[in-house]
Amino acid sequence: MKTLLWRASLRYLGRHPWQTGLSMLGIALGVAVVVAVELANESARRAFDLSMQAVTGRASHQIIGGPAGLEESLYARLRRQGAAPLSAPVVSGHVTHGDYSLRLLGIDPFAERRFRNFLGYAPDGQGEGLLRQLLTRPGAVLMSRTLASRLGLRVGGSLELLVSGRKRQAVLAGVLHPPPQKAAAMTDLLVADIATAQELLGRLGRLSRIDLILPEGDRAAAGAVEALLPAGARLTPAAARARAMQEMTRAFAVNLSAMSLLALLVGMFLIYNTMSFSVLQRRELLGTLRVLGAGRRDILALVLGEGLLIGAAGTALGLLLGVLLAQELVQLVTRTINDLYFTLGVSGLFPTPAGLARGALLGVGGTLLAVLAPASEAACSPPRAVLDRSRIEGRAGRLIPSLAGAGAGCILVALLLLLPGRSLVLGFVALFGLILGFSLLTPAAVALASRLAAPLLGSLLGVFGRMAVRGVRASLSRTGVAIAALSIALSATVGVGVMVGSFRLSVQQWLEATLRADIYVSPVTPSNTGNEASLDPALIAAIRSVPGIAGISQGRPANVQSGEGITHLYAIRMARGSYAGVELLEGRPGTVWPLFDREQAVLVSEPYAYRHGLHAGDSLTLDTDRGRREFRVAGVFRDYGADHGVVNMRMSLYRQYWDDDSVYSLGLYLEPGVDADTMVEQLYALAGDRQALRIRSNRTLRESSMETFDRTFAITNVLRLLVIAVAFVGILSALMALQLEKARELAVLRATGFTPGQIWGLVTTQTGFMGLLAGLLAIPLGLMLAMLLIHVINWRAFGWSMDVILPGGVLAEALLLALAAALLAGLYPAWRMARTPPALALRQE
Amino acid sequence: MRPLALAVLLAAGLLAWWLFSPRTPPPSDAPGIGDILGGAPEEGFERALAPRPFRFPADHGAHPGFRNEWWYFTGNLQTDRGRRFGFQLVFFRNALAPGKADGQSPWRTHQTWMAHFALTDPGAGRFHAFERLSRGAAGLAGARPDPLEIWLDDWFLKEKDGRWRLYAKEKGFSLSLSLSPRRRPVPQGEAGLSRKSAAPGNASYYYSVPRLRAQGRITLDGRAHRVSGLAWLDREWGTSALADDQAGWDWFALQLDNGADLMFYRLRRKDGGPDPHSAGSWMTADGRVTRLGANDVRLKVLEYWSSPRGGRYPVRWRLRIPSLDVDLKVAPVMDNQELDLLVRYWEGAVDVAGVQAGKPVRGRGYLELAGYGD
Amino acid sequence: MNGAGAGPFVRFENLTRTYRQGACRRPVLDKLHGEIRRGESVALLGRSGCGKSTLLNLAGGIDEPDSGSIFIDGVCITGMDEHARTLFRRRNIGFIYQFFNLVPTLTVEENLLLPLELNGWSPAKGRRRCRELLAAVDLSDRAGAFPDQLSGGEQQRVAVARALVHGPALVLADEPTGNLDADNGRQVLELLDRLVRDGQCTLLLVTHSRAVASRADRILTLTRGRLSGVEEGALW
Repeated sequence: MKTLLWRASLRYLGRHPWQTGLSMLGIALGVAVVVAVELANESARRAFDLSMQAVTGRASHQIIGGPAGLEESLYARLRRQGAAPLSAPVVSGHVTHGDYSLRLLGIDPFAERRFRNFLGYAPDGQGEGLLRQLLTRPGAVLMSRTLASRLGLRVGGSLELLVSGRKRQAVLAGVLHPPPQKAAAMTDLLVADIATAQELLGRLGRLSRIDLILPEGDRAAAGAVEALLPAGARLTPAAARARAMQEMTRAFAVNLSAMSLLALLVGMFLIYNTMSFSVLQRRELLGTLRVLGAGRRDILALVLGEGLLIGAAGTALGLLLGVLLAQELVQLVTRTINDLYFTLGVSGLFPTPAGLARGALLGVGGTLLAVLAPASEAACSPPRAVLDRSRIEGRAGRLIPSLAGAGAGCILVALLLLLPGRSLVLGFVALFGLILGFSLLTPAAVALASRLAAPLLGSLLGVFGRMAVRGVRASLSRTGVAIAALSIALSATVGVGVMVGSFRLSVQQWLEATLRADIYVSPVTPSNTGNEASLDPALIAAIRSVPGIAGISQGRPANVQSGEGITHLYAIRMARGSYAGVELLEGRPGTVWPLFDREQAVLVSEPYAYRHGLHAGDSLTLDTDRGRREFRVAGVFRDYGADHGVVNMRMSLYRQYWDDDSVYSLGLYLEPGVDADTMVEQLYALAGDRQALRIRSNRTLRESSMETFDRTFAITNVLRLLVIAVAFVGILSALMALQLEKARELAVLRATGFTPGQIWGLVTTQTGFMGLLAGLLAIPLGLMLAMLLIHVINWRAFGWSMDVILPGGVLAEALLLALAAALLAGLYPAWRMARTPPALALRQE
Repeated sequence: MRPLALAVLLAAGLLAWWLFSPRTPPPSDAPGIGDILGGAPEEGFERALAPRPFRFPADHGAHPGFRNEWWYFTGNLQTDRGRRFGFQLVFFRNALAPGKADGQSPWRTHQTWMAHFALTDPGAGRFHAFERLSRGAAGLAGARPDPLEIWLDDWFLKEKDGRWRLYAKEKGFSLSLSLSPRRRPVPQGEAGLSRKSAAPGNASYYYSVPRLRAQGRITLDGRAHRVSGLAWLDREWGTSALADDQAGWDWFALQLDNGADLMFYRLRRKDGGPDPHSAGSWMTADGRVTRLGANDVRLKVLEYWSSPRGGRYPVRWRLRIPSLDVDLKVAPVMDNQELDLLVRYWEGAVDVAGVQAGKPVRGRGYLELAGYGD
Repeated sequence: MNGAGAGPFVRFENLTRTYRQGACRRPVLDKLHGEIRRGESVALLGRSGCGKSTLLNLAGGIDEPDSGSIFIDGVCITGMDEHARTLFRRRNIGFIYQFFNLVPTLTVEENLLLPLELNGWSPAKGRRRCRELLAAVDLSDRAGAFPDQLSGGEQQRVAVARALVHGPALVLADEPTGNLDADNGRQVLELLDRLVRDGQCTLLLVTHSRAVASRADRILTLTRGRLSGVEEGALW
């Protein structure tokens, strides 16, 4: 134990509180972002698991059917054949009560015993009463007391539910007291008898699924069940189904994680910066220690230890911040999942030790990695007492070409990594490779830029300008890193900004092209449950006879099974005007439409085609109510509506293969001269109390779609801001360190006759130059990142192609941001320099 | 009368517990039988007020206007080589509320069903009991009069070509019998009206088919046996319950080798004494039926069996009917024939030996002991 | 140190060291030979840039020659690897510099303790030794002060104490008075002289001042990369 060495270094950290604190803050922010995203992702995953678990119970298998569910007689058949003694029918669906989206789970209490334990949560002595009410009282539902108090309901009170836009009256028959670990999963759950569920959901005669417990590994038992299944029904392991659902959100989670790693990366730059600076500053001291007989390993351990100390403290702070941040983030993540994938009723943060541990590991590991270079540099310092800085900078200068070489190599490897395959993770590896390569090139770029800028600034600002620029160049070992950190953060904003901007414009153009009808009508439903809802047929008939409507298209989204996965099907009866709205990416209209309209053929969206490797002319297999059937792919169309892809099928073909004649949405084409807004009013009046409808004109639908889009990217923007925050802290600390270190030099200048104002000018010119440089360097990298994000990441994650659109605003914003950050960072050192009496600064040596 | 209270249970406290608890044995703190005889209120249900003629096959089917009903099959069987078995298969119907349920769902019903299936294997000293519950809707459980069909899942009684087929199956165990009546149905009580207490309407309609020739197959632990023997059917429906001071009952169904059959149930009061509404009948081979009142039958417990789950059951009896000069001893083929199900009770195969009018008689039968299991 | 009594304590053999300055190479030491006896106090005189400090650094094992060898007490330190040399230096050599080079974040006492700790002394024994030496350099009352709270002369006295605290066999001093006024300089030199003799150390002192050099047992001068002009005996 070299306690004195440690003591010396601890005191050093203590004497430089700003530097130490800022780099701690940088790591803390980086770790916080990583942890928050990790926790948010994990919480969303866990929420999903929990809500699945609550409704799946102990089922090992499930029998599932087509979009309309199963014919209910299948259950009696299974029971009466004795094929599945442990089986339970389920009717479930989404309903809304006021602003709340709830899941209604209809069960048969007589079959539930081995599956779920809802009535077991009845308060003592009330089980029998609840059961009797559940079975005999129409509309009776149970819920957890948490939910009841959230909805402000009392036992016996009635509760109005909106199911597929239709009002239904339910009664709160009783409240359940689930144990705490089960309570979270029940926060959006209404439990009812299966008869009640069928009646409330309007699904008489159908089951959503049949849960089974089959003896593990008993193929015969599964076989006996399968032998009784009609075409279109299938037996599937319960876990497989949950996995298939979860798989849909994977790309989304990977994207978020990558964004968070970027924040950590910037944080790592920050700590690298701090540590290399402190090593440089203590060069002589370290030399002295070496002369005194401290070994290389001692010095290495010393610097690593300091870094680890800062890293560990920062990480601890980061974990704390991360959990706080995650509270907010999980809302955003849940909302996005609700918008895009499926309704996730359960929400809340579930911090897991594993998630926190991963964050801690990344924080400490990242710090270690960042400190490795300065530490080994320190260990290599010769045991020399007197070293002049120019020699160190000289060495750094000599390193520039090899660094630049390594950077170029890094970029090359990154680009090579992109060539094969479609791995999303590899795409992100390449992204980070690009960033790393670019940052290695930064010192060379800074050297070059300052050489070029010196005469320019010199002619503009005279000796100040030259001094400022030379100062940047003279301390390249630190300015390079600071500029690299800032430019990476900025390039991330440029990259993400360009990507989002391009995406947004593409979506906007697509919406304009696709939404051809003048008015869209659908029932009011929780988001992403359109496949459960349908329009009242009588209402459709009534709308048909409204004068002024020239044509009507009809749509019905449905989830159907295909192999092991779920395919989102969109059955559509196109109106004459609908055809022009479909942008075909593969296939020519002349050949596609006759196929689509008359043959056993479908259109697949671009992401669907990408995910399944399909092209026009191929065929795909779907499980229909008539059994497994092949459908020809007539063409591929552009669609940004669903990242998991969608298959469009003409309504008549859909109804031929699936026992489902419901219609979810209508597109109304108005006759010329009919005012859309007036028609919307008229339709609302027509619907009256029959069904709550969402009737939107073309324009409002487009607007609300864009709102959803913007909401989806809200989380991206938050992460972007956080990355900038980390970088800002980075540049602040780097520049402050740089300027404080130059205290003596500036004091000499003051002594020579520089006014405080001139010192201000010098410092701000210098930091401003660095900010400008960072901003300029960020632009090419940012554009490269944008290309990568659009053409590789987005394509691999979602299968969307889009055009790169260069929004000038984003670039200007990045430059401004860089300048602002740099100037702001120069404020304190300049202020301090300017007001310190020169003698005080000179006395230091 | 006897299993009436069992069926009433369907409406009561334990049910909810059973339906939702993944564990099989009921908790030791389960309410006693006396506590859970509440059930659905009687208002709105039909009541058995006066005797009525039974009409078959219609009355073999269900009477959903009454709250409770059951089809109770018990019997003694043996293989060609003389190996003995006892069986019990009973279907209970219980309405949670009177009238037809409101609502359009095919699952909507007030009718609930429970069935118990037990096999006694005295040779191996094993006793097996199973139960099933279901709603009486969506084709899961129910009753149809013509052709007769009573079912719950894959357990059923079904009429085919004038014969009844009785079937139940669990993993490793099954019962599949063909039953043909050897006697016409015998109305019990006052021409079929069986009073349970002094309160009017607290009565049931009750008939028995005391002798059914049984032939078929049973499976125990996966091994099948061809069997034949005699079975007994008890049918009862009504809207009644034990009176407040009644604690349980002992029920005898005995088939004697001189061609006579005896049914007698003794209602026990909480104070330990016999209830005056205990009743039964003596049915001879030529179709004569002698009604027996509480005072016509003298019962004496000879031996108790203590259940490892608690409670002790009077399993050996001396039964005398002085007016008919009958003196019988009743002994179980094995002691432990306790059904540890939603409700815990003892129901098992018994041997009978004794004298009537100085002539020795032997026989077999079933004994049910309820209200002891705590 | 093995204490092999006979022969020279320090021996330079054929020592060459060249610095690169831009494109041209400038030889500093050129096949230098020389010897220092055990317990001897030697001053190395020469003009700035003549290579005095280079020779001192080579002798201390903190620089390596292009060719040639240095033997200290019969051990060839130029043949050692970096790690072995560090251990050798830690144990056997004490350094004193013109600019003191104290560890600014350690107190006076801790600065003295540092070499002891590196050499594995127990804290208690180390503290006793430090008190001794602080008393010897007349700084007992400043043990808890940080270097920047001391005057230059005081700092150099701490540096002298630190160089001798672990009882090195060889003390190397590079212009120890170069940054001090005459009074303080003389005080430091006297101290150094006394402690070196008390500790039976060998001293190699680099200076450009003849006055300083004159206190040594022997004076060597370094010109054009070689040792020359050997003067024996005290000159005052």
